[in-house]
Amino acid sequence: MNLDWSVLISAFPDLMQGLQVTLLIAISGLAGGIVSGVVAGVALEYGGRISNVLAHIYVALIRGTPIVVQVMFIFFALPLIAGIRISSIDAAIITIIINSGAYNAEIIRGALNSVPGGIQEAGLAMGLSFPAVLAHIIAPLAFRRSLPAMGNQLVNVVKDTSIFIVIGVGELTRRGQEVMAENFRSVEVWSEVAAIYFVVISAFTLGLRVLERRMRLP
Amino acid sequence: MIEFRQTTKRFGDHVVLRPVELSVKSGEVAVIIGPSGSGKSTMLRCVNALEKISGGDLLVNELSVLGSSADIRQIRRQAGMVFQQFNLFPNLTALQNVMFGPIRAKKYSKSEAKEIAKALLGKVGLFERKNHYPSQLSGGQQQRVAIARALAVQPRLMLFDEPTSALDPELRQEVMKVMQTLAMEGMTMMVVTHEMHFARQVGSRLIFMENGRVVHDGEPAALLSSPPSERFHNFLQHVQ
Repeated sequence: MNLDWSVLISAFPDLMQGLQVTLLIAISGLAGGIVSGVVAGVALEYGGRISNVLAHIYVALIRGTPIVVQVMFIFFALPLIAGIRISSIDAAIITIIINSGAYNAEIIRGALNSVPGGIQEAGLAMGLSFPAVLAHIIAPLAFRRSLPAMGNQLVNVVKDTSIFIVIGVGELTRRGQEVMAENFRSVEVWSEVAAIYFVVISAFTLGLRVLERRMRLP
Repeated sequence: MIEFRQTTKRFGDHVVLRPVELSVKSGEVAVIIGPSGSGKSTMLRCVNALEKISGGDLLVNELSVLGSSADIRQIRRQAGMVFQQFNLFPNLTALQNVMFGPIRAKKYSKSEAKEIAKALLGKVGLFERKNHYPSQLSGGQQQRVAIARALAVQPRLMLFDEPTSALDPELRQEVMKVMQTLAMEGMTMMVVTHEMHFARQVGSRLIFMENGRVVHDGEPAALLSSPPSERFHNFLQHVQ
């Protein structure tokens, strides 16, 4: 087998365009997934009966079905049910937000739950309302405790974007396939695609490590 | 200042407080003793509504613990609490722990809160340690910070729930000294403890509980020197 490594250079611009789309979906997914995860996590831990049941159903539905099926449903089935058409990139972003939110919810519930009850009581005993205790006492501690697990989940979000190849979103994996379809250089192209993911995710992991270290308590 | 009116507390079927009738006046230091499970901690925790009472009523400065949530927050601001396990905020320094209440519960400015906190840390003898985190302090020091934190919201009475039980004997003294100073300044206090020295020297009243009832209630020296019941006599033998 002869390898032509000049392909790495010629393919690079196309793959970078794909990476931009990947990062757009991933970053929207991270931000949105944290918001939906916090809402669902708080509902799981402190919610009344109705919000608690709704949060449980949300988490169970999302964790109980593959992400590929979820995005297919949102992209192909939802337009038929609700009569709304959405672009493939919007479908990808919506899917990743909903999907990662469900996993984040369980992490956040666990982190909230791990804050000792006595510390909550100390806040209540000063005359703070429960929402104030949650915001100013529990949240900063739970945030620290959730970091390792959240970091893991956030890395999964970046990798999960490659799944959106199935609805034709022009993200990194899709671009890699397109390039390969033109030049048939599968070894070179897929090595390059893998390396790009690896660099992005490593940078991301490093950032999380630094954040974790900075937030560490004496 | 604190009035238990036929107050009861149940956890499910388990009765923790049988109707308790008790009033603590301003300036009193009521020391509550009794075997574990007798309801003394629960009684204390009912005062600031950390436990919801099951029957009767309980008034703190004329406000009922059965009142609105605004009333309950008002009661809690008037009744500082010190816990057995200190419960300091681990992510805040000693100074920040003490500043927390003034800022969040009393809406003081940061600089006002800082002045209050510095003065109180000085009072408990920990001014030098103001920038230490709880994990960098000994148990006795943590508990003194916790007392300063409770005082920072300027309460009118203080509740102590076994404040020295989690401490080594040699660290208890420094905490009790702070409590004694508070008592001498006229602070109204309810103290659940096993420290008979404290009861005798600092307490103005000794309350012996058993099975959710107040069994004896009187002047500490008198009760301790001539125990009015066999049960109380036996209890004292075990704790001294």
